[in-house]
Amino acid sequence: MEWRLYSRDRVAMFWTMAFPVILLLGFGTIFRDSGGPKLAVVRVAALAPGPQDAALDQALGDLQLKVVALSRAEAEARWARGETAAQLEPDGEGYRLRLNSYLMAQAGATAGLVNQAWLVAQARLSGAPEPRRIPLQVESPGRKRSANYASFLLPGLLGLNLVSMGLFSVGMVNVSYREKGKFRRLAVTPLPKWIFLLGQVLHRLTVTVVQAAILLLVGYLVFGIANQGSFLNLALIMALGTGCFMAFGFALSGFAETSEGYAAISNLVFFPLMMLSGVYFTLDSAPVWLQHVVAGMPLAPFLKALRAVFNDGAGLAGHGLGLGIVATWGLAAFLLAVKRFRWA
Amino acid sequence: MSLPALRLRGLRKTFPKVVAVAGVDLDVAQGEVFGLLGPNGAGKTTTLEVIEGLTEADSGEIEILGLTWARNGREIRSRIGVQLQSTSLFNKITPRESLDLYGSYYPKRRSTEDLLKLVQLEEKADAYHITLSGGQQQRLALAMALVNDPELVFLDEPTTGLDPQARRGLWDVVRSMKAEGRTVVLTTHYMDEAEALCDRLAIMDHGKVIATGTPASLIADLAIPSVVELTFDGPAPEPGAFATDLGLAVERRADLWEIPTPDPKALLPRLLEAAETRAVPFQQVHIRRATLEDVFLHRTGRSLRE
Repeated sequence: MEWRLYSRDRVAMFWTMAFPVILLLGFGTIFRDSGGPKLAVVRVAALAPGPQDAALDQALGDLQLKVVALSRAEAEARWARGETAAQLEPDGEGYRLRLNSYLMAQAGATAGLVNQAWLVAQARLSGAPEPRRIPLQVESPGRKRSANYASFLLPGLLGLNLVSMGLFSVGMVNVSYREKGKFRRLAVTPLPKWIFLLGQVLHRLTVTVVQAAILLLVGYLVFGIANQGSFLNLALIMALGTGCFMAFGFALSGFAETSEGYAAISNLVFFPLMMLSGVYFTLDSAPVWLQHVVAGMPLAPFLKALRAVFNDGAGLAGHGLGLGIVATWGLAAFLLAVKRFRWA
Repeated sequence: MSLPALRLRGLRKTFPKVVAVAGVDLDVAQGEVFGLLGPNGAGKTTTLEVIEGLTEADSGEIEILGLTWARNGREIRSRIGVQLQSTSLFNKITPRESLDLYGSYYPKRRSTEDLLKLVQLEEKADAYHITLSGGQQQRLALAMALVNDPELVFLDEPTTGLDPQARRGLWDVVRSMKAEGRTVVLTTHYMDEAEALCDRLAIMDHGKVIATGTPASLIADLAIPSVVELTFDGPAPEPGAFATDLGLAVERRADLWEIPTPDPKALLPRLLEAAETRAVPFQQVHIRRATLEDVFLHRTGRSLRE
C-alpha cells in the first residue's frame, strides 16, 4: 500500500528517482575530462618579442598549458572581468606572474607549470641539459581507474540518497503521521506496532534498492562506471548506511511536533552532512581539525568505504574503523529513537 | 447476555493543566445507542479516548464487553470499532482501498462492497480521498469503524462540521448500526442529534456526568416541561417589571424571552394581560416542549453552546 501511494506521488518520485540521475548526468558531463578544465595562462605580448619569449612559449606548450596571447589592453580587460586565473607579463629583463586571489587553486597550479616552463626555456637558451621532470600520474586511491569525476560522484549520490531517505522520508512520514493522527487511527486497530514499523522499513528499503539500481545502471550506460568491488560488500555497506540513516530519521522525528518543525531540524542536520562529507567534492583543503570532525560524522567514513569498494574493488578490511563509526552513530540514533518515540 | 457492553467506575484523567475526566461512572447495555452530550471541553472526547485505549487513565475501572485493557488488549481492539474526531487519510487513497487496508488489520472483517453500500459510497468507491466531500469523508470514517463487524462502536462527534443534509445521512448510518444489533457510544454537542439518535444519554460538564437517562425522562425530570417564548422584532428588551408582574423567571435571549412553566395553559392569559399592561412589543408567542438544551441549562446554569 505504501508503495502504491508512493507511486502516485509524482513529485516524490521525481525527487527520489530522477533527481540523483540528473545530478550525475549533469556534473558527470560537465567535468568529464578527468583532470577538470585545462589550465590556461594569459600571456601579455612583449613589445618586441625576443628569443627568450619564443623559448618560453614553446616550453609552455610542451607542458600542456593553454596559452592565451593577448595585447596588454585586452589582457587588462579580461583580468578586470575576473576571467583570468594567472597572467604572465613582461617585466624588465624577465617576467612577472599575477595570480587571481579568487581562483587560487587554478592559479597556483598554473604558476607551478609556468615556472617549470621558464626553467626549461632558460636551459634551452643557454644550451645546458634540459631539467628532468618527475612524471605525474592521476589515479584513484585504489589504483583501478583514472579518477573520473562521475565515478567519484556516483557513490556520493548513493550515500546522499540514503541520508535524504532517512532524514526526509522516514522522519517526515513519522512526524506527519503523528501530527495528523494517522498513528492514532492505527492504534485503535489490533495491528501490532512492530508490523507497521517493519512495513515502513521494508518499503524504504525497496525504494533504496530501486534508486540505487537506477543510478548504477545510468552510471554504467552513460559513463561506463562499473562496480569494481564485490556486490556483496557493496550491499553490506549500503545496508549499514540504510540502517544508520533510517535510525537518524526516526530519532530526529521524536524531537519535532509539527512537519514544519521537522523540516527545520532535518535540514539542520542534512546540509552540514552533505556539504562537509565529500559528496560532491573532497575536503582536503579544509583545516585539519575540520577534517577530523568530519571523519567522526557518519556520512564521510561511509562514503570513503563505499568509494573504496565501488571504485577500487577494495575489501571491507581496511575500513573497520570507519564502518564502526557509522554503526556507532546508527546504534546511538536507534537508542535515541526508541527513547523519544511516541505514537500520539 | 446481561453483560454490559461498557462499564466505567470512577474514571479519572488529569492533564498538566486541567482535570479532563473527574470521576465518571457509566453503564451501557448491549444493543443501545448511548450518547455523551456536553459542551466542548466537557471531557467527552477524553473519556472516549481512555475507553478506546488511546490514553491511559489515572485511576478507575474500564470493562469493555467484559474485558479489560490490562489483560485483553488485542481482543478488545478486534471487537470494537472506532471513529476518531478527525480521521486523516492519505489524499490519494480511494475508499475501497482504505476499507481493504484497514480490514486487513483485523482477523474478522466485513466485505468492502457491503460497507460501501451501507454508507452509500459505491459511486465514489474508486475516487481519491481528497475529492470526497466532508460528508462523504465522514461516512467513510463510519464505514472504517465497521470493517471488523464490531460489537461496540465508538463515534466521536460524528457530524460536527457537516451541513444538515449530510448530518441526516450519517444519522441513518448510525440507526442502521443499531438495527444490526451493535452497541453505539457517541459524543455530540448537538442536542437534536442526541434526541434523535440516543436511547440513553449522559450529560457531561467539567469532566463529570451530571445526569443520565433517556432523552424523554431527562426532560420529564425537569419540573418545568414546557417553555413559553415571546419573540421580538429585533433585540429583546429587559423583562424587568413584566417579570415582577408575572411572578416568574424570564430568561432573556438574543431576540426572545423564555419563560419555563409546568402549566402553559394557565400561564397564557396572565401573560397576555401583563404584556398588555406593560406594552411589551412582542411579535409572536410560542409554546414548546422543553428540550435537552433546557435540561443542560437548568442543571448547569449555562447554555450548551457557551
